[in-house]
Amino acid sequence: MPRVMETPGAARSAAAVGAAAVHEGAKRPRGVFTRHDIHGDTVLDCDVVIIGSGAGGATMAAELTEAGFDVLVVEEGSYYQTRDFTADTSAMVRQLYRDGGATIAMGKPPVYYQEGRAVGGSTVINGGMSWRTPEKILDRWVKAGLDLSAKAMEPYFERVEKRIHVAPMDAEAIGNDNKLLKKGADIKGWDVIGNLRNQAHCVGSNRCAFGCPTGAKQSALVSYIPRALHFGGRVYADVRVERITRHGKRATGVMGRVRHPDGRLGHRITVRAKLVVAACGAIHTPALLVRSGFRSPSGRIGHNLSMHPNVKLIAIFDEPVTGWKGAHQAYQVREFQDQGLVFAAINLPPSVLAMTFPHRGRALGELMQSYDRMVLAGMLCEDTATGRVRTINGHAQAFYQLADADAANLQRGTSLLSELLFAAGAKRIFMPFHRVQELNSPDDARRFADQKIPTRAWELLTVHMMGTAAMGTDRTAAVTDQFGQVYDTDRLVIADASLFPTPIGVNPMETIMALSTRCAAHVIDNAGRLLS
Amino acid sequence: MTEASRRVLRSLVPVICPPEGVPLADAIIEHMELQIGVLPALMRKGIDAGLVAYDVGAMPRYLRRAHKLKGDAAERYFAFWEHGLEPQVQLARALNQLMSLACYEQPSMKAALGFFPEPWIEEVRKKRLTVYADDVRRQDEQILAPDPLRPVRKKEVA
Repeated sequence: MPRVMETPGAARSAAAVGAAAVHEGAKRPRGVFTRHDIHGDTVLDCDVVIIGSGAGGATMAAELTEAGFDVLVVEEGSYYQTRDFTADTSAMVRQLYRDGGATIAMGKPPVYYQEGRAVGGSTVINGGMSWRTPEKILDRWVKAGLDLSAKAMEPYFERVEKRIHVAPMDAEAIGNDNKLLKKGADIKGWDVIGNLRNQAHCVGSNRCAFGCPTGAKQSALVSYIPRALHFGGRVYADVRVERITRHGKRATGVMGRVRHPDGRLGHRITVRAKLVVAACGAIHTPALLVRSGFRSPSGRIGHNLSMHPNVKLIAIFDEPVTGWKGAHQAYQVREFQDQGLVFAAINLPPSVLAMTFPHRGRALGELMQSYDRMVLAGMLCEDTATGRVRTINGHAQAFYQLADADAANLQRGTSLLSELLFAAGAKRIFMPFHRVQELNSPDDARRFADQKIPTRAWELLTVHMMGTAAMGTDRTAAVTDQFGQVYDTDRLVIADASLFPTPIGVNPMETIMALSTRCAAHVIDNAGRLLS
Repeated sequence: MTEASRRVLRSLVPVICPPEGVPLADAIIEHMELQIGVLPALMRKGIDAGLVAYDVGAMPRYLRRAHKLKGDAAERYFAFWEHGLEPQVQLARALNQLMSLACYEQPSMKAALGFFPEPWIEEVRKKRLTVYADDVRRQDEQILAPDPLRPVRKKEVA
């Protein structure tokens, strides 16, 4: 007999496979439910069920709960709080990243992509870069018929920026790795700007990618989710949604299973809702739609995957850098933004950095002795290729083939970034290839630009997946209308980066939140129709 | 993970980890198991099967299984996989990455590099809550404050 859950229970169990749920036993806020609270097959009712609690889902939840709707958020990942985020990097990766961060878009080369799987979604593990959609991108979307001009989007951006406290970094929190990046850019005479980030006095623990242990990063976990809870929302963590239920073309709720840390699936959860919002990210939203039997008149669900392929370079300096003390990505080099390239300095703990080197044994040990003198610099490329998310046996699998033009752009960018790092004083630079290549001078960097690098040789990674349920005014070419409503369905809205018609060339979090805010406003304005 | 797989991994510690990591083999393998445990199912199965293939694949050349190879032989055999066919290359890379990660997660390895994040986190956390206490409190309040620009309520639209 299914049960309707109202209050958290007290059951506790030891987690398996090392993915210890560190919040076990800790007090959770009212409205947060986890696997420990679900003791049997369960049926829940609400006005709006939101699948996913990241940038899109959490924002939608806060907006709709504040407007008085009964909102229930379902999240596959677990619920952690700021105090749970420790310096144990591997444990954080196991707990906060989908599949331990080892998710791959198939192609030559493959692209390693990473997604957060926790309450707060990828905002818990991102760098917190908060940039409005560039005007040139919005203009492009306007030309495609969408009412998304900079002026039209202004109130949504403002609203988001206030909520997540988008602000420049405090100067004293900026670490030496970022200072060196800026120094190099200044010497080259290149445009470098202080990053805007969703942080309230970030103090430079440099643990953004593993859960901010100071609470300074205003991820959805500490901003929109508490706001949604404050206005009466509910969050069910540890629940994997298997499908959206429907009656004909009308979405009626979701069905899912409790997910345990070792991957086992437990009790069934059924949520009955007047409106369903899919906000699982650009990889899993299209897969969920497909396995729920929804079809788009355009046939474009899962198509149009953009990834902003990133590459990283490791530079070794003579002087100590101690990059792990100081804010993550305090600056961005924007000199080549109009060519689709943005540079930044990142920092990784020794274990993750060691993974990136092909060296091993004594050679790895000798190289890692320079850890304190290393600067890790990354480059984002606005891609022209698009890939696809396919649903294979119900599971999402991304396919993406780097375009030759994008590979050429990456090569040029890598050369330029190397020049910058040498200008800042780097002595050696390791390049982003399987068979490692080392540069030892600015001349090497310039010569590198002319080398023939096979496309498949690049080592690519990304955290920016976009566009797989793109919005548009033409139902034969897009998946949703400009408010995220899926064409040819009823009561089904998308609110995540799947909506982007094109890549945006900057970090996508604020765009996702702004579009989600706009979609929420549309739901509120049309509540009589959508939520009757 | 099977005991046979663990034996193969243990034999790779001197090949992949720096010399100072070799005495930490048990902890490194334990850590690797945790990490492999959260990988996608297909990848886990691939690693399991790959370790068997790696172990048995040494027989024709060395007349013994890979986990029994020592010193130069172990080194040469791993290098052979690193430059072999695509699946061999992929397995060698994956093992190198997972073992390097596990090795440098060991406290003594981190300490040898001067990496002490815990006291740093504690220091800056305290700083944030003292130096910026008022701003932090204001932001916390702002998150929960009703928005004057959000007048539409459900009961009004109903």
